[in-house]
Amino acid sequence: MEAPPVTMMPVTGGTINMMEYLLQGSVLDQSLESLLHRLRGLCDNMEPETFLDHEMVFLLKGQQASPFVLRARRSIDKSGMPWHLRYLGQPEIGDKNRHALVRNCVDIATSDNLTDFLVEMGFRMDHEFVAKGHVFRKGIMKIVVYKIFRILMPGNTDNIEPLSLSYLVELNVVAPAGQDVVSDDMRNFAEQLKPLVHLEKIDPKRLM
Amino acid sequence: REEKQLELTLEALISQVADLKNSLVSFIYKLENEYDRLTWPSVLDSFALLSGQLNTLNKVLKHEKTPLLRNQVIIPLVLSPDRDEEIMRQTEGRVPVFSHEVVPDHLRTKPDPEVEEQEKQLITDAARISPDVAQKQIQSLNKMCSNLLEKISKEERESESGGLRQNKQTFNPADTNALVAAVAFGKGLSNRRPPGSGGSVQSGQPGAGAIIAGASGMQQVPMSGAPAQQQPMLAGVQMAQAGQPGKMPSGIKTNIKSASMHPYQR
Repeated sequence: MEAPPVTMMPVTGGTINMMEYLLQGSVLDQSLESLLHRLRGLCDNMEPETFLDHEMVFLLKGQQASPFVLRARRSIDKSGMPWHLRYLGQPEIGDKNRHALVRNCVDIATSDNLTDFLVEMGFRMDHEFVAKGHVFRKGIMKIVVYKIFRILMPGNTDNIEPLSLSYLVELNVVAPAGQDVVSDDMRNFAEQLKPLVHLEKIDPKRLM
Repeated sequence: REEKQLELTLEALISQVADLKNSLVSFIYKLENEYDRLTWPSVLDSFALLSGQLNTLNKVLKHEKTPLLRNQVIIPLVLSPDRDEEIMRQTEGRVPVFSHEVVPDHLRTKPDPEVEEQEKQLITDAARISPDVAQKQIQSLNKMCSNLLEKISKEERESESGGLRQNKQTFNPADTNALVAAVAFGKGLSNRRPPGSGGSVQSGQPGAGAIIAGASGMQQVPMSGAPAQQQPMLAGVQMAQAGQPGKMPSGIKTNIKSASMHPYQR
């Protein structure tokens, strides 16, 4: 995955508050090709980029009711890439006008002893999966189309099976907090994918 | 001023009639030359075009600026059996002579005698039936027309939506939810969870399979102690990788709670 984005806001100590704006949808396997064609036309002209990533989600169960979640992602097919550690906060309960799911996001590139470190800190792996798909970019927007594979033997990323017959399509932007115009741009882009894919903000808490 | 109006009207009429003539010509051409490739929608298109043009012609005639053409009379001034170049040019070679045979056809105002007869017949028939019978007939005609229209529109709507459903099912909302849930909190991904995600979890556990096979044998025993026994073994497998002996007690507790909820549902 990419290195954390550079921001223009003054760094006054502490963390830079980056938010992730997210829209999600899915597309059936048989319609994947048409979606890829359309994305290739709509997005920036670059080499179509495929990826094969292994993501592990770690939980730290403290005294509070809700555990602290960290996501560690590594690239299986590209060698030499750093591991990507990501924290995603709770979705902001914004007004209904905001068209995308907004949550606080912290991205860090790490070396490859990340899992040992997290385990030593007291985290425990909750689940893991393999993501295989394509990445497209348009300006600051990133569109990822990927298939989620369930890992049958813990730690063995060769023995995998697809979770469903669809590809997950995510449109996300990582931007400093307070830029709601981003969600308008995202919605306009989502309109262009309209009959093929319905990109919308899906609240994960509803699906629990 | 009236002459000016008359002139303008005549010009408009001439142009409308010329359009009509052109579309008729193309339609006839289509019918004669492409009859084997002709489709019903294309014929309908031609008819629609003709009907539209007749409509505009009618509108021009009814226009308020049109003087009453009824009051005008056309009288042929000269009839000669000689070829007339002017007429030839105007009619594109179809009327070469302005003579006695041609004039009655072209300047006729009354319909054909047979048509006149039929019209007279219809008028006497219509006058014969009493007004309320006539009214009833009108009403039933209207009702039948509206029924037919309704049936057609319903059929159109149903076939359209059916076609849409067949062609355009490019995504499955249930899949969307399943995938989002998987990415957000691992629904359907974790090996530890009891079969909340369907039978595929059972089929895909070769590593811990031996333990689970032994454990499912134990599940038949109707004791809540039995599920508790299988979970520490599973937890042991997971924990061996994590290397956190301190976490094991809490791990077992959560597993027991989730497992005892459905010991027999496998």
